[in-house]
Amino acid sequence: MSLLDVRNVHKSYDNGVEILRNVNFSMERKECLGLVGESGCGKSTLARLILQIESFDKGSILFEGTELQNKSERSLKPYRKNIQAVLQNPASALNPKLRIKDSLMDPYLQFGSLVNLKYFTYRSEANFIGQLLETVELPRSFAERYPHELSGGQKQRVTIARAISIEPALIILDEPASSLDVLSQAAVLKLLGGLRETLDTSYLFISHDLSAVQEMSQRIMVMKGGVIVDSFEKERLFCSERHSYTKELISMFE
Amino acid sequence: MSILSVRQLHIMGKQNDIVKNLSLDVQEGEWFALVGQSGSGKSMTAMAICQLLAPNLQAKGEIWCGEKNLLTLSSSEIRKFRGKRLAYIFQDYQGSFTPFLTIGQHFDEYQRTHLNLSKKARRQQAVNALISVGLNEDIYGRYPFQLSGGQLQRVSISMALLLEPDILIADEPTTALDSVSSFKVLQLLSKLQKETGCAILFITHDLRHVRKYADRIAVMKDGAIIETGDKNRVLNHPQHAYTNELIQSSPSLRRIPFKLEGVSG
Amino acid sequence: MELVIKGKSKRRWRMTVLFTVMATILAVAAYTFLIVKHDPALVNLEERLWPASMEHPLGTDHLGRDVLTRLLLGAQLTVGYGLLSLFAAVIIGVPFGMIAGFKGGLIDRIFMRIADAFLAFPDTIVAIVLSGLLGPGIENLLLAIVLVKWVNYARLVRSTVITERQKEYVTVAKINGLSSFGIMRKHLFPHLIGNVLVLSSLDLGKIILLISSLSYIGLGAQPPAPEWGAMLNDARPYFQSNMLLMIYPGLAIVFVVLLTNMLGDYLRDAFDVKKEVGS
Repeated sequence: MSLLDVRNVHKSYDNGVEILRNVNFSMERKECLGLVGESGCGKSTLARLILQIESFDKGSILFEGTELQNKSERSLKPYRKNIQAVLQNPASALNPKLRIKDSLMDPYLQFGSLVNLKYFTYRSEANFIGQLLETVELPRSFAERYPHELSGGQKQRVTIARAISIEPALIILDEPASSLDVLSQAAVLKLLGGLRETLDTSYLFISHDLSAVQEMSQRIMVMKGGVIVDSFEKERLFCSERHSYTKELISMFE
Repeated sequence: MSILSVRQLHIMGKQNDIVKNLSLDVQEGEWFALVGQSGSGKSMTAMAICQLLAPNLQAKGEIWCGEKNLLTLSSSEIRKFRGKRLAYIFQDYQGSFTPFLTIGQHFDEYQRTHLNLSKKARRQQAVNALISVGLNEDIYGRYPFQLSGGQLQRVSISMALLLEPDILIADEPTTALDSVSSFKVLQLLSKLQKETGCAILFITHDLRHVRKYADRIAVMKDGAIIETGDKNRVLNHPQHAYTNELIQSSPSLRRIPFKLEGVSG
Repeated sequence: MELVIKGKSKRRWRMTVLFTVMATILAVAAYTFLIVKHDPALVNLEERLWPASMEHPLGTDHLGRDVLTRLLLGAQLTVGYGLLSLFAAVIIGVPFGMIAGFKGGLIDRIFMRIADAFLAFPDTIVAIVLSGLLGPGIENLLLAIVLVKWVNYARLVRSTVITERQKEYVTVAKINGLSSFGIMRKHLFPHLIGNVLVLSSLDLGKIILLISSLSYIGLGAQPPAPEWGAMLNDARPYFQSNMLLMIYPGLAIVFVVLLTNMLGDYLRDAFDVKKEVGS
């Protein structure tokens, strides 16, 4: 049974414009699947569908065998504990009026009683927050700070800490490093790679940056105009059988 | 010959120095890349050149363009400079457009400040400019929100090069674009540069932008330039440890040497 | 750098003084019964219009009642009524604005139409008209004020909520399974406090003036209530002979309104500074 199964998913806007068409793929446990495409190709929409913050028109999405329908909030809760997200914009991903520790506690407060933590242990709130911050290589004193006191790279580490706090089976990363400068990008990607090993999580790594995707993922999917045009193991990136669009992307990065 | 010459530029904020003793030269027709991480002062340097610094910041030193020291010019004099000799493209392409004016109206405003053409001639010039950057004529009548990031940035470029300035200052023009748009914009800049012969001062945090197109590179850290030189020299034989760190951190596609079948490219 | 520090502590010092004065007034208002010795309503025509003395530090009014006592009790009424109506307006306006802003859609549209209707007229006029329609009496006046003021809070809250709900941290909160109510409580509420506080303190002065003015023309507090506006009205016929009878309540109103305005200004500046540091 796959971890995630996306079958024939379609989505159109109200005005008839198709954003996603016939999207089909699956993910296993402990793997990192990369998704590459230009902005506007639908990859972020796909992320939102999997996270069930938007609904799709046709097809189905199964998580650990259970079908998700575009359902009400309450019935979604047991599913939500298994899947977290690190989204694009660290600047607005943290509530500016809350201290770091309050933002970090959100997932645990909601799901702590429903999950069995293996890597982290909860003895007290302060202790738990300390563990989270240490794991993302930030000092424990950051717990009391406000987001505006942190740099972009540091804020992103906090959002990562928040996402891993309940040890979800799947984390969706949508352009996690794109808004950071090069040195911070490299550091964040390295951190993410290490965490996946430690926590045995799966990642769906979405980015427009093919080189970052190549670095992080085992398998890569290429999306264009709402359709997955290519899907391959990362070792086969430079093979001649690649789709022309994939080759086009490669040429831009060399 | 130096188109732009910055000598001992200091930029000071209320509490600290943002840029210290910075000097650089941009030669006629060359693509000069200024590379640095956020907070290094690279954008401030660019703004100082165009006298666009925030009022609480102070700039000292000399910035020579032609025979004029830009830091000594009055605001009306610098306005004449901007556009004709010096053009500027911003990173925030959305913010550099007024939301309720059409692209055509943006062009118009720019043209009327610097040129004396009839309405018809202005429109023609603008349309030609749009076409030269690969955009359609009907973009002229659209509003900024109707265009994508890549398109808006191309409009910015076409407007910047309209008056054929001697030097174009591009402040992280592709940082907020995805890789495909970014690639196209860089390609376009390179083509236009060859056609008009203008120099480009290209500011970025990402060495990958620099690899293909730059002639010379300067690396900035904490408000000062730590290394300058020909692109190939800097990228292949960096003299400074920080430069090396930047080079190592810029992810690039690694060709995996096994299982290759008919390698493309 | 030094100037900045000086400014800060100067401001802090001023705010402390303000707060202390306000607190004293509130304390006096609350505990007047400990201080007063005279019955504020007892008519004693033999002692009318006496000048200041030990027994009556501010003299007596035209009905022989101690002016100081009435003034102090008036604080209770004027400030008390002001706070009451303000509180009610906030309690109604804030949740309304939050729900309209967060849920959007039909609820929001209905709300906006209601708000537009209320905002078509300046609040003073509406308060007067409503009071007139409902009849004289302090309860009707307070009702009118609440009806007029709640809209401002709702609108303020609504626009803040609309701005914030599009931010990513709200999406993340949804992903984390927080209910709409949970999101409003934990994530949106902190954004509102500052704005609402500033608006309320500025509004308090306006409300107090409104209460006094309408009482002055007979639409609010009714005799024998020692509300300051009503006292002003009572003292009108004696303006030429006993000017002080009008001056005391007048000064009291001016003083309190000035105080609340200053408080509002400082609160606004304080929250602004935080915002500056924040960006």
